[in-house]
Amino acid sequence: MDHKRQIKQFVLKNYLFTDDESALADGDSLIRGGTIDSTGMLELIFHIEETWKLKVADEEMVPANFETIDAIAAFVTRKLAG
Amino acid sequence: MSWLADRLAGHARAQPDRSALVDGERRFDYAALDAHVDAFAAALRALGVEAGDRVALILPNSAEAVVATYGTWRAGAVVVPLNAQAKARDFEPWLRHAGARVVVHEAIHRDARAAIEAIEPRPQAVVVDDQAAADTDLRWNALPAGDAAAPPARNEADALAAIVYTSGTTGQPKGVMLSHANLAANVQSILAYLDLGADDSTVTILPFYYSYGASVLHTHLAAGARLVIEQNLVFPHLMVETIARERVSGFSGVPSTFALLLNRVRLGEYDLSGLRYLTQAGGAMAPALAARLRAAIPQARLFVMYGQTEATARLAWLPPERLDEKTGAVGVAIPGVELEVRDEHGARVTTGTVGEVHARGANIMLGYWRDAALTAGVLGADGWLRTGDMGHVDADGYLFLSGRRSDMIKTGAHRVHPKDVEEVVAELDGIAEVAVVGVDDELLGQVIKAIVVFAEGADRSLDRVKAHCRERLATYKIPKFIEAVAELPKTASGKIRRSLLASNERREVS
Repeated sequence: MDHKRQIKQFVLKNYLFTDDESALADGDSLIRGGTIDSTGMLELIFHIEETWKLKVADEEMVPANFETIDAIAAFVTRKLAG
Repeated sequence: MSWLADRLAGHARAQPDRSALVDGERRFDYAALDAHVDAFAAALRALGVEAGDRVALILPNSAEAVVATYGTWRAGAVVVPLNAQAKARDFEPWLRHAGARVVVHEAIHRDARAAIEAIEPRPQAVVVDDQAAADTDLRWNALPAGDAAAPPARNEADALAAIVYTSGTTGQPKGVMLSHANLAANVQSILAYLDLGADDSTVTILPFYYSYGASVLHTHLAAGARLVIEQNLVFPHLMVETIARERVSGFSGVPSTFALLLNRVRLGEYDLSGLRYLTQAGGAMAPALAARLRAAIPQARLFVMYGQTEATARLAWLPPERLDEKTGAVGVAIPGVELEVRDEHGARVTTGTVGEVHARGANIMLGYWRDAALTAGVLGADGWLRTGDMGHVDADGYLFLSGRRSDMIKTGAHRVHPKDVEEVVAELDGIAEVAVVGVDDELLGQVIKAIVVFAEGADRSLDRVKAHCRERLATYKIPKFIEAVAELPKTASGKIRRSLLASNERREVS
């Protein structure tokens, strides 16, 4: 499964409580509107660290990397390449 | 008259270049902010909004929320700041109940949109982002010009300034009516005990649609001080960075805000020496947390405070120098307020005896909007407000709280009526019975737990219950834990025994 699909399924299951992919667009903000709060964001970051065996630094925890499914997938791809 | 809107105009004349508001990349000095307020007031008048008309706001903290609030007052109208995290099932009854003539919202807010479209005659929508959702919408950047030079509306001081909907149930909206005099009195009291002046500044994440957030906004603008808006605490280190970068002098939070900062951010790595004071309200903070906070930011004086929306915001404050001696107290009455503890017959109790806290002062609400019966239940003819909070006063006159008479759940900065969540869960097919309680949570104080009884043969998926709630409830109201049981514990008369349910049982059981 590609990164984006994996991340999206985690978000759908844990924050939207559904497996309906149409419930969230890849470009929708997870932060505005409160899909993910502070605790949820930490859970998501733990999940990413566990799944891809990488470390997210404090300075990387910014909206530019975590605002949308697209942004998170791009961030994971960069981390794995880097 | 709106004392607050007039203060803003006064600062704009006296110190036009002084920084008033920072919202992301946007910075407003007092002259610019005041000009935007004038323009919004003129636009409302051009739309035919008259003194006493209601202007509802469904907005996150933003410059637009500030301008719309003060502009509404300058036009002589009444602001109705609605919880922007709510859903259509809340907005619709609120907008109807308030009789909102104008609704300012973000076009992307689908629930706000759905509520507006369900109401006839439809209120005038003003959208703050670029895409108007309907032809009839007005865009924030293209509002009618009107006569910006028209003099501000001159209401009486006791005229209605705001209707604030508090955590009630959908069936019975509770709109706290605050007058311009209420707001002025409470702001003046807070300015006095915090000693807030034009050189002060703050970063705020508290929503302006809650009384605590509103009081932070109004006190700073009344003082000619500076307010920096941060949207949320999803990335707590970013907010601490802002505190350091902007060198603000004050920061206000609820206990979970401070728990988050202490647990998630290496505070020692930031220069927080600009902080002169911290304020805490919104429920009791554990003494251990307060001690850690004071150790982490030692030069900042910590003000523990207490209040409620019905009192505009603030009722009591604990002078920081008494914090060690009066651990657990919420302090003494703020200037201009009287506090008394009374028994169930309304008689004042003796020192140390627990009773219901009553309050009187110029900050006490006018009543609940369009609900004389509800008003009469809490507000006496003598002006004393029954707060619903239980507590006692010690020999030195310090108030200690010991809970509420109601089952209200406090989670983070929010208050949730269990019934509100129970109604939603009960609407789902296959739910025979449900009870909602608060369970202890280290970070948020309490989180919401639903105990459900499934009907025979029903789909017992707990995710199905959560997904149903997500569609209909603000995120903070969605049960964090759900437990399926065979039956709910009840009294002989069939009443649910909540005390048996509100154990610290956090696990999820299906």
